[in-house]
Amino acid sequence: MAAISQSRRTGSAVYWLYLMPGLIGFVLVVGLPFAMNVAISFTKWRGIGMPSFVGLANYDRLLGDAAFWSSMQHTLFFVVAMAVIPTILSLILAATLFDYVATQFGQGWSSFFRAGYYLPQILPVSAAGVLWSWILNPHGVLNLVLRGLGLEGSNWLGDPSYAIYAVMGVMVWIQIGYSLVVFMSGLGRVDPSLYEAARLDGAGAPQRFWYITIPMLRPEIAVIALTTTIAALKVFAPVFVLTNGGPDNSTIVPSYFSYTHFFATVRVGYGAAISTAQTAITILLGLMFLRLQTRKGDAR
Amino acid sequence: MKTFTRLALMLAATTALTTGAMAEGRTFKVWWYEPADSALGIAWDAALAKFKEAHPDVEVQFELKTFDQINQAGSLILNSSDAPDLMEYNKGNGTAGLVASQGLLAPLDEAYAQYGWDATLNEAALQLGRYDENGVFGSGPLYGIPNYGEFVSVFYNTDMLAAAGLSVPTTLAEFEAVMDAFVAQGVVPIAEAANDYPAQHLMYLLALSQATPEWVADFQGLKAELDPAPFLYAGQKLQEWVEKGYLSKDATGMKADDMAAQFTSGASPFVVTGTWYGANFGGIEGFTASQFLFPGNHLSAGSTGNIWVVPNGADNKDLAYEFISLTLSQDVQNLMGNSGGVPIAADPAQITDRIGSLETELFNQLVAQGGLGFYPDWPVPGFYNEVLQATQAVIGGTATPEEFAQRLKDAYDDGMSM
Repeated sequence: MAAISQSRRTGSAVYWLYLMPGLIGFVLVVGLPFAMNVAISFTKWRGIGMPSFVGLANYDRLLGDAAFWSSMQHTLFFVVAMAVIPTILSLILAATLFDYVATQFGQGWSSFFRAGYYLPQILPVSAAGVLWSWILNPHGVLNLVLRGLGLEGSNWLGDPSYAIYAVMGVMVWIQIGYSLVVFMSGLGRVDPSLYEAARLDGAGAPQRFWYITIPMLRPEIAVIALTTTIAALKVFAPVFVLTNGGPDNSTIVPSYFSYTHFFATVRVGYGAAISTAQTAITILLGLMFLRLQTRKGDAR
Repeated sequence: MKTFTRLALMLAATTALTTGAMAEGRTFKVWWYEPADSALGIAWDAALAKFKEAHPDVEVQFELKTFDQINQAGSLILNSSDAPDLMEYNKGNGTAGLVASQGLLAPLDEAYAQYGWDATLNEAALQLGRYDENGVFGSGPLYGIPNYGEFVSVFYNTDMLAAAGLSVPTTLAEFEAVMDAFVAQGVVPIAEAANDYPAQHLMYLLALSQATPEWVADFQGLKAELDPAPFLYAGQKLQEWVEKGYLSKDATGMKADDMAAQFTSGASPFVVTGTWYGANFGGIEGFTASQFLFPGNHLSAGSTGNIWVVPNGADNKDLAYEFISLTLSQDVQNLMGNSGGVPIAADPAQITDRIGSLETELFNQLVAQGGLGFYPDWPVPGFYNEVLQATQAVIGGTATPEEFAQRLKDAYDDGMSM
């Protein structure tokens, strides 16, 4: 008995040894800065000098700050633009490329399109953002094309009622490639005979999509949904490059909002409170998601 | 134990050697963030060459930074051991004022007299170099030395005005009449960008047309809660101008470069912007660009430029002071003017560049009439973004002039109580 528990103990000690490097990295890069951030959020601090403790004052301010609430609302728009739409679109595109383009036109064309859709992921966001702000500006290419078609152009990034949709459009363009590549590789492990059998049984493309592609890709869809949702919750760079949160705060998101307080207004304590609240929400949503997923897995 | 002693001895010897070596060959670290091809970059490069000539024994370490780097991380750098001996720093309460109030900058009052800078600069030019214990500019010890000037004025297309038989306006009413004539021709008179900094400069010029120097002193010096009346007028005027077609609502989707392109391509005859565009507009090939001060205004957006600061922990303060002297010397200042910049202490007779001499003349005129109204975003940290968004909204028509003025007041009063 004693011998067994002894070996168990050494066993777990060895696990800890293996966990050490990752753990140290986590504590240094994530844990410690996070704890510091939480501590700073209870202070009033201008980035240099001594912070002074103000208790919950920053959180109190946060609850009454309209910009914070609209930034949270916009996060939902970004979940739609970065998680929901790209996942649906790239599922359809992946199925089309896999089931139609590859079989009718050959593997080469399918790979060509896959690479094309992935391109925006490789471009640095800053460069892509500058290009898009040219395309979307009132004298830009998009309006030229629209006017050529006899339609009316819009002031895409300058009008508060359009700006969020313009930025969402750019996000869909950026995100599709990521989900598409994951789904295509997922389809790679699906037995092609399944499709063949379904075809012989008279299943059309929509049925094959609904009854084969989606069920077979369930694990990939879960992973993509989780990672892209988290990416949407912390989106920063495209907003920074395209609109600076404007016009009229109509595209402001929590990360950008916290950034402006950290670096522009130098209300470092308040900036820390914003990012702490944002982290809490991200963790909460992440946990809910994982919970939902494991429950689904159990059901199966 | 023996090994330990030997190790300690070796360490001590190495330290002694390195410190000895450092004392012999000195290093001068200087940073600035003006692009190498700008008037300032050209002038300061020449000053650095002179410095190297005078000090062949000193190793010069120059680093070209970016505005954003210093604007966002400047306080962290100054608070560390990596700070250089001399650096260009952004003037204003939220930047230089903040680090000065935290004791990170060396006071320069002694050097000011000792190095003879008082012979080239006057007290009015030092306003943005002095910061009090709260970091508010205008009084207190001298922490920064200005080197150049900048101001916002109207650049215009001389060919388009001549073709339309119009002359340079001298009052706001005349300016509006000239713009009416262009609107009648189907031309948008003013190229503007409200998704970027330029629109707030036009807004501020309109506000300044209603402001007294006391209002400016109160507004910029955080002396009282904001009296928003001039901003209300500016908001009303901007909406009126959009309605009359003087500037396009499309401006809300444009960046500064888009605006410049609209002017340089000859699409719009006017652009209201700063002297930092001077060299660029001076080189336009299709037409001749010139400039005039905003018509009817006694005050204009403008100031002495960014400042030289010496970090408190700098090792070679004497070298830093020498370099400041070089940048204020006649040769370097004249070179700045002849490269299309606005020197602060040049001999106007020596400046032959067309735009450079025009800018220097207008700047001197502004200084003489006490017309430097600074910039709208300075008073409180982070005000820039608020002014940008509010101006964009009032031009786009999503905010009324009243809402516009109230937003500025709220952000200002809030920042003041920080």
